[in-house]
Amino acid sequence: MSAPTLARSGDLTATPNEPGRESRRERRRRERLEEQDANIPVQLYGLKRGTVTGITALCVLFAIFTLAPVAWILINSTKSQAGIFQSFGFWFARPFQFFHNFSLLFQNTDSGTYFQWFGNTLLYAALGGGGATLLAGLAGYGFARFKFRGSKAFFYITVGALLVPVAAITLPLYLVYAKAHLINSIWGMILPSLVSPVGVYLMRTYVDLSVPRELLDAARIDGAGEVRIFVKVALPLMVPGLMTVLLISVVAVWNNYFLPLIIFTRNTLYPLTVGLGVWSQTAERSGGNSDLYPMVVMGGLVTIVPMIALFLVLQRYWRGGMLLGSIAN
Amino acid sequence: MVVFGLFTVVPILYAIYESLFTSRIIGGTVFAGFGNYSQVLSSGPFWGGFIRVIIFGAIQIPVMLVIAFFFATVFDLGVARWGPTFRTIFFIPFAVPVVVAAIMWGFLLEPTNGPVTHLANLFGFGGTNFLSSGLILPSIILIAIWEWTGYNSIILYTALKSVPRDMVEAAILDDTPLWKIIVRIKLPMVRPAIVMLIFLNSIGALQLFVEPQILLYQGGAITNTWTPIIDVYNTSIANAQYNLGAAMAVVIALVITVISVGSMAFRRRRGELA
Repeated sequence: MSAPTLARSGDLTATPNEPGRESRRERRRRERLEEQDANIPVQLYGLKRGTVTGITALCVLFAIFTLAPVAWILINSTKSQAGIFQSFGFWFARPFQFFHNFSLLFQNTDSGTYFQWFGNTLLYAALGGGGATLLAGLAGYGFARFKFRGSKAFFYITVGALLVPVAAITLPLYLVYAKAHLINSIWGMILPSLVSPVGVYLMRTYVDLSVPRELLDAARIDGAGEVRIFVKVALPLMVPGLMTVLLISVVAVWNNYFLPLIIFTRNTLYPLTVGLGVWSQTAERSGGNSDLYPMVVMGGLVTIVPMIALFLVLQRYWRGGMLLGSIAN
Repeated sequence: MVVFGLFTVVPILYAIYESLFTSRIIGGTVFAGFGNYSQVLSSGPFWGGFIRVIIFGAIQIPVMLVIAFFFATVFDLGVARWGPTFRTIFFIPFAVPVVVAAIMWGFLLEPTNGPVTHLANLFGFGGTNFLSSGLILPSIILIAIWEWTGYNSIILYTALKSVPRDMVEAAILDDTPLWKIIVRIKLPMVRPAIVMLIFLNSIGALQLFVEPQILLYQGGAITNTWTPIIDVYNTSIANAQYNLGAAMAVVIALVITVISVGSMAFRRRRGELA
């Protein structure tokens, strides 16, 4: 469901005056040149070539540490139950059963079906993450560009919400759900995901910096209505910020474990994290004899691939500076 | 006016949402009076869990931030080849759910055929069980460092990028050695970002839950009261003592809020907060 959102934002970036029309190769070259230009040449620091090689080697070491678990899960998704426990973890072993393992994910187990969980997660992430981004965009724009009664107070409440410890309020949330009959309701999962104080805060900071007041005033003088101004003038300028918030909120919903763990007792509603957790714990409780292991490994792989892909796709919109803005102010 | 209305409604929704929090917390405890609180406050295992997450944070956060700052500096100075590629790689764990991270590391650290265990054997630490009660905490620290170092590093990198270039150029012209540029110029400039990261990571550490919960049945070193949040979970969900669990949640929230407000006050006094 997030696909249409992406397509629409893509159109917005391609307004005539935007550099969005340059080809991918041109962009890469420009970015490389900018990068070179921004850095002070290494020689000026009085560093030797050997130092650069040494530091690069350290980077390689840490990259190996970072990628090792991902490589492990990729390799072991091709193995049988016995292969996972008896062969060397970082090399392939016969029989090669990647596709067999993949097909296992469609099977019904005592605790549920993987692809049902996948669909649930997709739904929660699209509605929760997408909705959170939308609301954060609107609220951020409102806080940054309008003064209304109580706007300051509302903003402070939002900032205050940043300090609320998420795990510690999940149980109180559960108790209310029990009263409001939201246990085993997808709204119990989606509604809290819609509220993203970080998103609102980031969007306010972003709008403040990147949507000039003068531009909005000029549009007003030209007789454009507020909705039109927001959609045609402000929104295109907000796209990189919105993409950063979208990435953060989708990742947050996709990775959420504690909330769905306690509010869903029916396994047809589980997201991937809870389902995988149940499988993994069931397998461990069996003392290593369960045939769930290949499914846990393959399931883990299928869980992380969409997130890494999303991250790589949205990377060019990623504004790390926004995170900084949120913590440095 | 339409837009105006829209923007007031959204924050009001926030406000209602917020107000629900307080009523939720009170609602869960009103019936039981203060009895639950005295039970929580005098519970040894509950505070044991607290001490455990404090030890966890006290080791994990400094180690992670030192590594993160090192790589942030490397990327900022551009002194490693393929810097942007490494930046992307280091950031990947951020996109991996903690549940999956814990499962993957559970396999890697597994006592019979885990690759890390093999590595330990190779270096003469035969029979090391990384998931035993003695080593489970360091293992979880390792998982957390894997998960969050890249993310923290990117934030510090962005902070370092905002250090004015002419300051660094002036220092170079004065023949200031590189380490002095880093320690005397760059470090003080990104100090607010570091303080904020320490504070955010501390809040995260106090709420440690997912990793130990996933590793629950591996090695059996994780008890029902291993961290405060695990204690809350087991008390209220597994044992259905909702009121007691709610009291615990309130105590945890209170401790975290005190830390938050304390750090805010500290920063305000130092004049770092606008």
